[in-house]
Amino acid sequence: MNLHHKLLSLIPILLIIIFWHLVVFSGLVNSFLLPPPKDVFLKIVELIVTWTIIFDIIATLIRTGLGFIGGIVIGVPLGVVMGYYKKIYALFEFLVDFLRSLPATALFPLFLLFFGIGDEAKIAMTIFMSSLIILVNTMYGVKNRNKTREMIAKTMKIEGFQLFRKVTINEAKPYLFAGLRVSISLSFIVVIVAEMFIGSSVGLGYKIFNALIVYKISEMYSVIILTGLVGYLINRLIVYTERRQIPWMGF
Amino acid sequence: MKIKINKISKAFQSGSKDMLVLDKIEFQIKEGEFLTIFGPNGCGKTTLLNIIAGLEQPTQGSIELNTSKEETKVGFVFQSYQESLFPWKSVKGNIELALESRLRNRKERERISESYLKEVGLLNFANKYPYQLSGGMKQLVAIGRAFAYEPHFFLMDEPFSALDYDNRIMMEEKLLDLWTKHKKTVIFVSHDIDEAVFLSDKIVILSKRPAKVKAIIDVNLKRPRSIETRLENRFFEIKKKVLRIFKEEIK
Repeated sequence: MNLHHKLLSLIPILLIIIFWHLVVFSGLVNSFLLPPPKDVFLKIVELIVTWTIIFDIIATLIRTGLGFIGGIVIGVPLGVVMGYYKKIYALFEFLVDFLRSLPATALFPLFLLFFGIGDEAKIAMTIFMSSLIILVNTMYGVKNRNKTREMIAKTMKIEGFQLFRKVTINEAKPYLFAGLRVSISLSFIVVIVAEMFIGSSVGLGYKIFNALIVYKISEMYSVIILTGLVGYLINRLIVYTERRQIPWMGF
Repeated sequence: MKIKINKISKAFQSGSKDMLVLDKIEFQIKEGEFLTIFGPNGCGKTTLLNIIAGLEQPTQGSIELNTSKEETKVGFVFQSYQESLFPWKSVKGNIELALESRLRNRKERERISESYLKEVGLLNFANKYPYQLSGGMKQLVAIGRAFAYEPHFFLMDEPFSALDYDNRIMMEEKLLDLWTKHKKTVIFVSHDIDEAVFLSDKIVILSKRPAKVKAIIDVNLKRPRSIETRLENRFFEIKKKVLRIFKEEIK
């Protein structure tokens, strides 16, 4: 994407801000419940220059990171096994599909029961969600590996663990990265929702919810916008990693 | 490598009945010979090739090689150029992968892969990824890779069938150049008469399913062959001979 295209992508954002401004100033909505963009942006600046938001961002990022990494540690090996062995796939297919259809956040009570109200519950819930997404994608990557190329490798006497290391892993990589991209965004969302509802004293979700309770509506919107920006940057990071890891996909 | 195909039969289970695909196929290939198996589509050519390669077992009959089965190295080139190369490896890396089982030294692998790339005329593309190459170039790399593997003999399963006519003519000449230089036995599968006549020393014509050997035709055109060969009367005579036998199979 060149500079010209990047500038183009700013136009809809500007239009939304103008629309927001007009809606508030025409008196169509209550300006207490939807403050004008100027107030919100001044609040964003304030949150950043006074550093008050930084610890919340860091806390949320650490929880997201741990949940995401935990998801990789659990999801990748299980996905490989399920992708390789048809029997194991048959054994767990239903369970996995069922579990991943559940909204992780609806299982609050269960996680609270096992992990208490600390960070453990939030991270465990994130791992639950991200590991399932990563598992399913890894599984499809391994299952759908190209059989012709596998045969070519075998005719070159690449067999057993070497076949896995040199061929199968790479076959699965594009699927794996698709899974990582989805799961990191969802990890971030799950952490924020968990921070809203499971007792915490720091984190972006806590900040949003707290601002709402005490009717600091400008602050609430400014934290929401910052949260969106952080989420966007996380996504960019994973796309960047993906392009470096699998340049051969020809993005 | 001298190869003797000894009354090979192959039946697949189809429902409760056995479906015969190959029916007592018998022929021989001399050391350094270029033999083409020619037959109607779906007659079991690929199955026969897989049996010769040891990837499938015949129901009856045997393959006689003058090396033990474990140590026999087969250079396989498959039909689909989309699947022939490992997409995550550069052109050079694809060839180096084929060398890994016999060469421990990385420098040595690089040197050899470059020399083969030079032979197929793709040294300039050494660091490109497969997605950056045309179909013909991909097959050329696959052929270079098969030669670099230094197999006892080659099995080529319609490697040019998906290419344009002009590309195909060029590729066939390149293949003959390599073959002339390295003097290795080639078993080539084709369903294109021009290709079969142009390339081979000998053409084995198979009937439709269940495949039997209809005829074995000697192609005594002088070598080296070029595009001029395709204009010789001898070329047309052999082509006619093949077509006369083959036409009973397409009725």
